[in-house]
Amino acid sequence: MRFGQRWWSCAALAVLVLLVAGTGPSHGQAASTLVVGLVAEPVLLDPAQVTDLNSNRVGRRVVETLVTFADESTQIVPGLADSWTVSKDGLSYTFKLRKGIAFHDGTPFNAQAVKFSIERQINPEHPANKLGKYPFAAYFFGNVKAVEVMDESTVRFILKEPRASFLAILTAGAASVVSPTAAMKAGQDYGASPVGTGPFKFVQWDRGQRVVLEKNPSYWRFPVKVDRVIFRPITEDQARLTELLTGALDLIVGTPPDFVAQLENHPKVTLQRQVGAHVWYLGFNNSKKPFDDKRVRQALNYAVDKEAIVRDVLKGTGAVSKGPVLPGTWGDESGIKPFPYDPERARKLLAEAGLASGFSTTLWVPESGSGMQSPVAMSTIIQSNLKAVGVNVTLQTMEWGAFLAKLRTKEQDLFALSWMAGSEDPDLVMYPLLHSSQWTPVGPNRAMYKNPRFDEVLTQARLTTDQAKRAQLYREAQRLLHDDPPWIFIDHEVQTAAFAKRVQGFKLHPSFDLRVETISLK
Amino acid sequence: MGRYLLRRLLLLVPVLLGVSVVVFLVLHLAPGDPAEIMLGSQATQEDVTRLRADLGLDEPLPLQYARWMAHVLQGDLGRSIRMRQPVLGEVLIRFRATLILTATALLLSSVGGIALGVLSAARPRSAVDQLSTLGSIFGASMPSFWLGLVLMVCFSLWLGWLPASGMYGAHGPGGLADLLSHLVLPAVTLAAASTTIIARLTRSTMLDILRQDFVRTARAKGLVERGVVLRHALRNALIPTVTVVGVQAGYLLGGAILTETVFAWPGVGTLMLQGILARDFPLVQGCVLVIALVFVLFNLAVDLLYAFLDPRIRYE
Repeated sequence: MRFGQRWWSCAALAVLVLLVAGTGPSHGQAASTLVVGLVAEPVLLDPAQVTDLNSNRVGRRVVETLVTFADESTQIVPGLADSWTVSKDGLSYTFKLRKGIAFHDGTPFNAQAVKFSIERQINPEHPANKLGKYPFAAYFFGNVKAVEVMDESTVRFILKEPRASFLAILTAGAASVVSPTAAMKAGQDYGASPVGTGPFKFVQWDRGQRVVLEKNPSYWRFPVKVDRVIFRPITEDQARLTELLTGALDLIVGTPPDFVAQLENHPKVTLQRQVGAHVWYLGFNNSKKPFDDKRVRQALNYAVDKEAIVRDVLKGTGAVSKGPVLPGTWGDESGIKPFPYDPERARKLLAEAGLASGFSTTLWVPESGSGMQSPVAMSTIIQSNLKAVGVNVTLQTMEWGAFLAKLRTKEQDLFALSWMAGSEDPDLVMYPLLHSSQWTPVGPNRAMYKNPRFDEVLTQARLTTDQAKRAQLYREAQRLLHDDPPWIFIDHEVQTAAFAKRVQGFKLHPSFDLRVETISLK
Repeated sequence: MGRYLLRRLLLLVPVLLGVSVVVFLVLHLAPGDPAEIMLGSQATQEDVTRLRADLGLDEPLPLQYARWMAHVLQGDLGRSIRMRQPVLGEVLIRFRATLILTATALLLSSVGGIALGVLSAARPRSAVDQLSTLGSIFGASMPSFWLGLVLMVCFSLWLGWLPASGMYGAHGPGGLADLLSHLVLPAVTLAAASTTIIARLTRSTMLDILRQDFVRTARAKGLVERGVVLRHALRNALIPTVTVVGVQAGYLLGGAILTETVFAWPGVGTLMLQGILARDFPLVQGCVLVIALVFVLFNLAVDLLYAFLDPRIRYE
């Protein structure tokens, strides 16, 4: 064989390999397909095992919970249960389930399925317990003593101690009801092929490319208007944006702050904003000098220009915060206003605390992390604000996992952190973050905050089932926090979604859920 | 030849063992813990401790390594910590996409690089040569993710000629044409740096060879210049070029991580990046092991190719 011929045969072989490798599936175009761009690929789709937002956003289209959130708030409304009663002592919750609903695999939705879905997470003896890792089982259901099947359509939860926010907990992804038949059949692979009662059925997952869902034609709540939804993971911001603007995607969530202005007045897309049930704060170590003096903590709240952070770093993707509770919700104390930016007053308070010449301290910041927005840029502004009132802050940036581990050493002075409660119930924010029983490492009170009156009010609110009474107690709690601030309150994340003009009827939800089932395509 | 091949294949074992130890150590000694990252800020100490124990992360490192290795030897790369799926399956699904991308980029950069090098060497200091030199400096100094973004903005956003991401269009027809249109931008991005390196090397080797006696003889015989350059000189210049192409194949496999991420190409690179961010140890170890295996095998293939290109080379 001559050299030239050999060369050509090599090239021909290479092309052949490419062609064979490249013959992929043909994707026929469905009647109405919605294509959604996600920031990252879902990890797995069993909400009881999910720890990230993208998995939840896809997985919760397939499975549902007994109670759920209203369309535009996190008020609790009936879901798979159409009514419920709570015993006087607050220890037992009895749910009447909707009848005639079937899972996507045809098996009936009933009380046994509810029991299965919860018990597989908390009972180590349960046959499905070893089929998955249920990371939040203790956090959500540690307080559940038993789940009892009363009859086919009645199920009762018995609690170890009363907790008024239990219904809010039952809206969590981990509380979703799965088809026991499908879960047992799929075993460890259930997370890759979920079966529930939701508006969409799981069809196919092309790894790294897309998750395809198809409408559930007999969805009990309303007729779903799109035939298919395709979720595509596109990590690079510019690529996601380009795909939206060229029509390859219909909807993207999590618009990077730098692109918000560009999309705001774009003729091809609509930009939507919505304040989510989230809070970003700069924690003090309340048990350490000089932060054990509330005048110092107040001073630092006055010293930071929250408006500038929201405007210049977050470009409007944050709303200035006055405390942990989401403004405008039932537990909010509307009488409190955010600490104004007042460096003069900060200096005065520091002087009163005997720190007229300032002090030096350290701020721990994670490089990134779930719900952390732009932690380093935000902290840098805070650092310069504090310097202006004589507080010299050294920034220490850390990797997210290392940062969380380090916070358990209790050696922090200042730290930047956020909390995505996903619910407006104040108990789900204030109790874990600020009740003294939740001091790290037992719970997530990493500010080591302890205020006896605040503890008492919070405990009382937990034991009261009447929402009006609870609201009163939480309002008092917020007044206490404003006077004796545990953190520098910074912002609540404003979620953004951008979508093509043909997308109708979409609303971002404050719980960070992505309810694409309400969409119709023009 | 047979013995040589056997010896080279046996050498694979210590190489892969070494790679696995290094990757294992780097991953486990770097800050960040998969349980912490998975559970996030809501986790209590109890949750983290329980999950760490569940995942076997509370055991001493040598024991963890030995346990993992024992499974690997049985062909089981374990299950991903986050996805709960078998690692081998995940890596193999993704490897097809990476193979398509890197093979195309390798083809582009070898053909393009050799052609450019030959053209420049045949007419040194001509306009073609000057342009190719300028292009090489530009190409070699440009970070691939930046080039990718620039290409994406030009050809997808402004001109609308090519899709910006993914491997198949969600609305598109699928099939080979769809794949090729999605392949253009990432393949060109990935190939850019390698093309310039191969072009520079081919040029300098060709210049050396074109000054040698046998070339003068060929010209003196009255052969046409094209024949002299392509048949006599290029063939002799290919040995060092093929070596570099072999090294570039490894570089392309590694460089694919960035390119795949920019273009949402569903390959091992994006999978590995997710794994690294989540400290998904079994997943990253599996990805690296497979990439290392392919790289070593490819280098072996390149070594065998020498004999094919130059019949004087024999393996003992």
